[in-house]
Amino acid sequence: MTELLSVKDLSFNWGENKVLNGINFSIQPNEVVAILGVNGAGKSTLIKCINRILKMKTGSVQMFSKDLQTLNLIQLSRLVSYVPQSVRTSFGIDVFDVVLLGRRPHITWRVSTRDQDIVSETIRFLSLDEFAFRRFDQLSGGERQRVIIAKAIAQGANLILMDEPTSDLDLKNQIGTMKSIKEIISQSQDKAALIAIHDINIAAKFADRILLLHEGKIVSNGTPSEVLTPENIATVFGVTSQIIPSKDDKPMRILIEDELQEGNE
Amino acid sequence: MSDLSSQYLQKSKKHILLIGVLSIITLIFAVYSMGTGSSSNLGFWSTLKIILGLQEGSNVQNAIIWELRFPRILMAIVGGTALATAGALMQGALGNPLVSPLTLGVASGAALGAALAIVLGWTFIDNSDLTIVLNAFLFSLLVVFIIIQLGNMRSISPESYILVGIAITFISGAVVSTLQYFATDAQLSALAHWSFGSLSRPKIENAVFISFILVILLPTALMWSWDLNALSMGGDEFAISTGVDPVRIRKNILVLSALMTSVVIAFTGLIGFVGLAAPHMSRIFVGNDFRKLIPCSAVLGSFLMLFADTLGRTLFAPVVIPVGIMLSVIGGPFFMYLLLKKSGGKY
Repeated sequence: MTELLSVKDLSFNWGENKVLNGINFSIQPNEVVAILGVNGAGKSTLIKCINRILKMKTGSVQMFSKDLQTLNLIQLSRLVSYVPQSVRTSFGIDVFDVVLLGRRPHITWRVSTRDQDIVSETIRFLSLDEFAFRRFDQLSGGERQRVIIAKAIAQGANLILMDEPTSDLDLKNQIGTMKSIKEIISQSQDKAALIAIHDINIAAKFADRILLLHEGKIVSNGTPSEVLTPENIATVFGVTSQIIPSKDDKPMRILIEDELQEGNE
Repeated sequence: MSDLSSQYLQKSKKHILLIGVLSIITLIFAVYSMGTGSSSNLGFWSTLKIILGLQEGSNVQNAIIWELRFPRILMAIVGGTALATAGALMQGALGNPLVSPLTLGVASGAALGAALAIVLGWTFIDNSDLTIVLNAFLFSLLVVFIIIQLGNMRSISPESYILVGIAITFISGAVVSTLQYFATDAQLSALAHWSFGSLSRPKIENAVFISFILVILLPTALMWSWDLNALSMGGDEFAISTGVDPVRIRKNILVLSALMTSVVIAFTGLIGFVGLAAPHMSRIFVGNDFRKLIPCSAVLGSFLMLFADTLGRTLFAPVVIPVGIMLSVIGGPFFMYLLLKKSGGKY
């Protein structure tokens, strides 16, 4: 099967500081892949190197065997959409118009009926109808985050990159939003999502695969049960944990117990 | 078509209709304004008939309408259009609602050029009506050149543009103050008169020249509407994710709007308020979609300028209050009322 995304030997420095070093992984169509790691591990940086917000130092990123560095930004944004950690605007922009910006890579001037319908369907799919014509800047942080996710979905790109997409959401909306993303990815033959996330239980429940990032390197790459072991969690997050394996359709759960004490590693 | 789509379409149609109505009101007011003034009041219908050639005006009437008032009114329309559009473009490109065409220092450059011409006689051409205008324009172009150089730096942020603009304003202000300190009374008076912002100076050929420039620059600005929509979301990351190169587009838009500003204020002097207020008023009417915001700002800008100038010409006739002053005095409170009343203090 053709790989949807292939990242080879990617490295990135902030000045002298090596943030990412020799990153290698690939993503298949229909996969939801989570990136886990502590603050500053390089999760957001990795995502921003893929969609060229940051310029990687070495390495290559290919989608469907096409080098993303060779594309112009319009071509790139047709293939890759992005949900940043937060978006703030000083202007009163309707939610519908914000989601419509997802169609920007497909629009020259006029908004076609198809574009309008895609935006309407996406707004409805994420249950945002009630504030479709309210101002984006008057929404709560969580509502804004869902609108930006809707914009990324409406973009119709093959790869959706998300940087902490559930950080501002309440528990119900975290589950609802992740379910919606999972549904979109599983229903399409040529889509995948790469999500930087903090909540390891959300990652365990929804991700097909997890990349564990530690000190700029991927230290583990596999299914949630392969990656989320007490040893890995201790190494990366510095906490002790207990794993409750998945059973009868219920996902595995990770109970965090305490900070790792020195000499207890 | 879904309910949301048809709601969106309805809203868009309403906005386009509103821009159309505003344009018609502006045209009607322009006709009224051509017939109104300190020297002769012709009445709306008589003025319209004379303009359309349906009625023969006397020589005096023709001279007042075509030679005195028409250049002034055309200048109000094109000047208001240019400054309001430049304001909308700059606010969008920098993602900042506090920005006006004067923020980047273009006007300060122009003021410095004018002051050098008036006080020191440093000019590029002699014995011409255009001496001060040309100086003001060339010095404002110097600021445009600085903006271009800034834009060539890949790491330049929107805030850096604004801070450099403020620095230019302080530097120019210091030099102009020094020149004022050594200026004669006549020179001080000329400088003060230039800085008021007035439509009495430009001639018909000046207004036509600016109109031609606008015919080129306005469609170019409209072409960047979607990029501006993305940029005004306030972050380069968001813009890049929708296919916009924020650094390149921001530079292009700022250069274009700085040119629009400099070409107008070189002739009129400092008129800043319309470039801040018209885009915000337009946002209250048509939202932030630049495909509608640019035309609405342009029409509203020309209306505000025309209205303020007509009031300035007639309120204390035969004394004429410069349009720059009238705009701030009348427009300021109205702008504050609209902002607080219609949008609860939000833009």
